[in-house]
Amino acid sequence: MSQYKMTASTRNVLFGAIGLGLVCMVLTWFGDDGNHSRFWSNFLHNSLFFTMIAAMGLFFNAAGITAYAGWYTTFKRLWEAYSMFIGIGLIFLVILGLGNYFGWHHLYHWANKADVETDTILKGKSSFLNNNWYLFGTIIFGGLWAFLAYRMRQLSLTEDNHGDSSFKYHKAQRVYAAATLPVIGFTSAAMLWLWLMSIDAHWYSTLFAWYSTVSAFVAMIAITILMIIFLKFNGYLSVVNSNHLHDLGKYLFAFSIFWTYLWFSQFMLIWYANIGEETIYFKERYNNYPALFFINIGLNFLVPFFALMRNDVKRKIGSLVFVSVLMLFGHWLDYFLMIKPGVLITAQHAAHGHEAATEGAAHGVEHASNFVAGFTMPGLLELGTFIGFLGLFAYFSLWILSKAPLVPKQDPYLEESIHHHVI
Amino acid sequence: MANTQNTELIFGLYDDEEDLLRAVKSAKKDHLEIYDVYTPFPVHGLDEVMELEESRLHIAGFVYGAIGTLTAFLGMTWIFVKDWPTIFGGKPYWSVPAFIPITFEMTVLFAAIGMTVTFYLVSGLGPGIKNPQLDDRITDDKFCIAFDKSIVNSGDAESFFKNTGASEVNSKNI
Repeated sequence: MSQYKMTASTRNVLFGAIGLGLVCMVLTWFGDDGNHSRFWSNFLHNSLFFTMIAAMGLFFNAAGITAYAGWYTTFKRLWEAYSMFIGIGLIFLVILGLGNYFGWHHLYHWANKADVETDTILKGKSSFLNNNWYLFGTIIFGGLWAFLAYRMRQLSLTEDNHGDSSFKYHKAQRVYAAATLPVIGFTSAAMLWLWLMSIDAHWYSTLFAWYSTVSAFVAMIAITILMIIFLKFNGYLSVVNSNHLHDLGKYLFAFSIFWTYLWFSQFMLIWYANIGEETIYFKERYNNYPALFFINIGLNFLVPFFALMRNDVKRKIGSLVFVSVLMLFGHWLDYFLMIKPGVLITAQHAAHGHEAATEGAAHGVEHASNFVAGFTMPGLLELGTFIGFLGLFAYFSLWILSKAPLVPKQDPYLEESIHHHVI
Repeated sequence: MANTQNTELIFGLYDDEEDLLRAVKSAKKDHLEIYDVYTPFPVHGLDEVMELEESRLHIAGFVYGAIGTLTAFLGMTWIFVKDWPTIFGGKPYWSVPAFIPITFEMTVLFAAIGMTVTFYLVSGLGPGIKNPQLDDRITDDKFCIAFDKSIVNSGDAESFFKNTGASEVNSKNI
C-alpha cells in the first residue's frame, strides 16, 4: 500500500505544461481585441471544464458509496483527489463572477445593464440571470461542493489510521455521500444554466444541464483511466488490474452513448415540436461551425461506439489510452462548441455598441460566418491553454495523491475491489 | 449442446460448485474428455477451466443489429420518400432526425430477437423440444459432470468421481 511520490521529471513536465498554458494565456491577452473576449472565453472554457470534471469525481465517488459499490475502492483516492480541485476551479469562476460586476469581460449578454432594459426576454429572466446569482451561486453552491468533497476525503483518510470493524468512518462517509448526491444533482444544473447556458442568453433547453454534465462525466472517466495507467507505469497501484480498467472502459462506452442520446434529444425535441425560436442554438452552430459540429458528434459518438465495442479493447492498455485521449479532447471540444459561438455574438455586439438585441444577434451571425481566430476553430493558443489547465489539474491531483496512501487500507470494500473480476 | 441420440453417459453429482471447479480442473489434467457439465446456475470461472471457446453470439448480435439499422432506415426512407410521400408538421419528406429513434429501436429489436433465436438454435432448445434431463436435481442444487462411456471407460470415470468427491455416480442413456 505504497504512497505516491512525485518524481522530479514528472513535476518538471507538469510545470512545463502549466508554464506553456500561462504563456499562451498572456499571448492571447495581448493579441486580443479591446474586450479580450478570446482570453476570457478560453479562461471560462477551461476553468469550467475542469471544475465540472472535479465535481463529477465527487459525484461518482458519492454515488458509489451510496450504492454499496466495491469495484472502484482500489483507486477511489483518485476521485477524492479530483474532487479537491473544485476549490481551485471555484477561484477561477469567482474571478469571472467579479468580472460581471466590474465589466472585465463581455461573456454574458445578460450582464449588460443597458441591453437588459430594452430586451423583454432578458428582462424576464433577470431575476435569475444577474450578477448576484452568478457570484453568490458560485460561492455558496460551489463552496458546498468543496466542503462535501473535503469532508468525504478527510473521513476516508481518518479511516486509514483509525478505522476498525465498526466502520464508523465509512458510515459517516455514507451520510455525506447521500447528502452530496441531491446537492450536486440539483445545484450543478442551476449553476450550469448560469455558467454555460446563459452565454446564449435568449435560448434555453431543459436538457442542457444533463448534456453538459455528462460531457464532463465522460471526460472524468477518460482522465481517470489515463491517470491509473500513468500511476501503474510508475510502479504504483499494482492492485488495479485489467478488470477495473474494463469496467472504466464500460463507463466510457456507456456514457458516450448516453451523451449522444442527450445531444440528439436536445435537438430532436426542439425540432419536432416546431419551437422555431429555440432552433437558433443549432442554426448558429450548424451553419457557421459545420466542421466542429460534425467532428463533435463523430469523435464523441462514433469513435467510442466502434472502438470500445469489443471486450478485449477495454482490457488492453494501448487501445484504452488511445480512446481516452480522444474522449478527453473530444469533450473539451464539445465545451468549446457550447461556449464560443455565443461569446462571439455577444463580443461583436459589445464591440458594435448598443443595438437592438435581435438586430445585434443577426449582425453577429453574419460576422461569424467568417473565420475568427480562436472562436470558429480552436487555435494553437486554445490548445496551449488547454494543456496548461490539464497540467494544473494533473499536478494538483498528483500533489493531493502524494499526501496520503494510494490505497485506502481500512475501507470495508477494499477486499472486494482487489478480487474484482468481470469475465 | 445439441443432443445426439442414444449416448451412454456416466455422470457424477457434486454438492458444491467449488468441488465441481476442482473436479473439472483435475479431469483436464488427467486428459479425461468431458461430455458436458450441468449446473443450476452460471458458475463463475467455469468456462475458463473447461477451456471453452469464447462465444461468437455477440458477433451475430452485431450483424443482426446492423441489419435492423439498415432495414429501419432504408425502409422508412422508401416509404416516406418514394412509396407514399407524406408531410408531417411541415418537415421535408426525408426527415432524418425523425427516423433516428425508430432506427435505434429496430436495431435493438433485431439484435435481441436475432440473438435469442440463434441461441435457441445453437443450444438445441425451443418450444416443443423435449430435453432429456440427466437428473432433476441438476436444476436445483446439484452440479454434474458427464462422460461419454464410449470415450471414457467406466472404471476410469468411477475412480475419478470417487477421488474428486462426487456425492453420487449414475449412468443414463440419452
